[in-house]
Amino acid sequence: MGKLIFAASLALTCLLSTATVAPAEGPGTEDPNNWPQYNRTSNAWRYSPLDQINKDNVNKLSVAWIAQGGDITMGIQETPLAIDGVIYSITSGNRVAALDAKTGQEIWNYQPKLDPLTKKVLFSPYSRGVAVGDGKVFIGTVDGRGIALDQKTGKEIWQVQLTDFANCHGCNFTSPPVVAGDMLTFGSTAGELATQGKIFGVEAKSGKKVWEFNTIKDDPKSWPGTSGKYGGGGAWMPGTYDAETNTVFYGTGNPGKDFINEDRQGDNLYTDSIVALDPKTGNLKWYRQEIKQDVWDYDSAYEVLLFKKDGKDLIVHMNKSGYVFVLDKNDGSIENIWPVSDLKNFVKDIDKRTGELIGRVELPMNQETLICPSTFGGRSWNSGAYNPNTGLWYNNVLDFCGYLKPVAQKDDPKDYGTGHIGASDFGRLVMAPDGRKPGRLDARDPFTGERKWTHEMDVPGFASVLTTGGGLVFNGDPTGILRAFDADTGKVLWSFNTGSGMRSGIISYAVAGEQYILVPSGWGSYAAILLPPLFPQLEKVPAASTLIAFKLPK
Amino acid sequence: MMYKLVLMAIACIFIGDAAYPQEDVPNLKDPKMIAAGHDLFLQKQCSRCHGEDGKGGVNLARRDLDPRGVFQSIADGRMGSGLRMPASRDVLTDEEIWKATAYVMSISQQAK
Ligand code: HEC
Repeated sequence: MGKLIFAASLALTCLLSTATVAPAEGPGTEDPNNWPQYNRTSNAWRYSPLDQINKDNVNKLSVAWIAQGGDITMGIQETPLAIDGVIYSITSGNRVAALDAKTGQEIWNYQPKLDPLTKKVLFSPYSRGVAVGDGKVFIGTVDGRGIALDQKTGKEIWQVQLTDFANCHGCNFTSPPVVAGDMLTFGSTAGELATQGKIFGVEAKSGKKVWEFNTIKDDPKSWPGTSGKYGGGGAWMPGTYDAETNTVFYGTGNPGKDFINEDRQGDNLYTDSIVALDPKTGNLKWYRQEIKQDVWDYDSAYEVLLFKKDGKDLIVHMNKSGYVFVLDKNDGSIENIWPVSDLKNFVKDIDKRTGELIGRVELPMNQETLICPSTFGGRSWNSGAYNPNTGLWYNNVLDFCGYLKPVAQKDDPKDYGTGHIGASDFGRLVMAPDGRKPGRLDARDPFTGERKWTHEMDVPGFASVLTTGGGLVFNGDPTGILRAFDADTGKVLWSFNTGSGMRSGIISYAVAGEQYILVPSGWGSYAAILLPPLFPQLEKVPAASTLIAFKLPK
Repeated sequence: MMYKLVLMAIACIFIGDAAYPQEDVPNLKDPKMIAAGHDLFLQKQCSRCHGEDGKGGVNLARRDLDPRGVFQSIADGRMGSGLRMPASRDVLTDEEIWKATAYVMSISQQAK
């Protein structure tokens, strides 16, 4: 009987939520009321077609509810999911919760008992999201496990240890897996670890591990001598699953040691690359390396966007260097390459046709070299957003630099708290030498890089961007200010102080005929540790782990 | 309830363990110890979050510190303020932790 009532109310909820809006059709508009995966749709656009909240009424937005995520260590870094009136959220310590999307009320929560070693390792205890499919909620844990929960109750269904956590320098998962048909793929951390980063293929139903893909190619030409043993790589952000070609695309991490290439005089495949994998087998269909023999810590782990344009299937993908690669989806061949900023100095340029790095700057040992962009990148890992109505891709550009100084370092995968980086830090941060503002929100054509508008900032943005069918762009900054922009012009239409800085993903969903903007707010992460000397405004930003939902008043 | 009590007891044992008797605190003013502490500070990348001189990132020179507290912070790590410092117990030896403590004390407000 209880079940029946539940089913009936579920059906009603579904009915109500489908009654919301009828946005235009086309790629990126499917499942309009939900935010069912990390970058919302399988083309990874972070576009919500919902248009109830628009340019004319956005200044009336008001708070619908607030929920607390618990432990604030390293802030809140997730992109929550919204599916059929329920929010799925993950916060510090891998605490997962399901919330009523109308009220913020908790429906269930789950927290795994984590290996105490997580206190010692480099990348912990934050997570950037969960995945949902097959009636389950899936997480990757900071001690290297995959766990499946019952979507309705939060009860654990299976768990599987995937990384050799204690012996791989603490390699683990800080991102959700990708649901790829009836398989899941999990990408591990590795770039700064004395290990070989892997991508794992797991059966969604049973949790059985089916395959491992090693992001460090077994090839002495690519990795002379033993240099590949601790080559790093990995894939620490979620990939993109393309059902049309049954392919999962992952961007991979940097080679190790980050700043020393003396012993790895080869391409260092498959670091700083896009790899196209068959999710059933883990077989490599193609790869495209973006940064060969990296010494500047320019991971290519960021989101892989998919487009159909002029009869072509294209990938648009930015790596940490700030260069954007436009590739053929079917074989990875290069269509175009463009930089998000002219500040870069690590190379003179990247050849638009061949992808060759032209005039690369090497780093002499024990000596500081000024490199732009800094190891935070030309953009951080937080995703951009593409709006099909404006044809613009919105990204938080970081325009500051760092002095890098390589120093010799022993390999020790048991030295858990020390990065396998070949330096005593990630570079001394400095403002750009030409005195420009350190950050901006840019609206550009994703294929050519042509800029339509820009919004300069005194403190750069470190959160993912949202764009909507209402002609809006939402962006949060590290001081806690949430802004809504006119997607066509960049004019600020509304702002709100969320009380803590933002490092996560803003989403939109609809339930019972109303559109919501859901904003995670909670400053934390390495940015919170390293940025204050450069941006004194950040010294006093309090940490938090809060979800704030906005909607229009009735 | 019982479980909570047991947890409390375990927590107390740990705290007890970390509180060193006075005579176990080595001479933190020894310049050799301070220099070795600075080497370790760079090698173990404390500098990653605190800068090469302890004054970048999370600035240690501005903190009012005592040696036992510093030892414990390094051994057990720091959490809760939104920021995180990894724990080093068993990753570094006690001797190494004392060296790092000597360096940190040499730059902290107390030393002036
Ligand atoms: C990943 C970044 C990180 C690394 C690496 C790191 N720390 Fe810290 N440390 C922090 C943060 C963040 C705080 C401040 C936390 C707080 O206020 O609770 C801190 C605080 C401290 C404090 C002050 C504790 C107190 O009682 O106020 C000391 C001393 C310290 N660190 C020493 C070290 C030493 C020595 C190392 C190397 C073994 C090290 N840290 C490595 C991030 C780091």
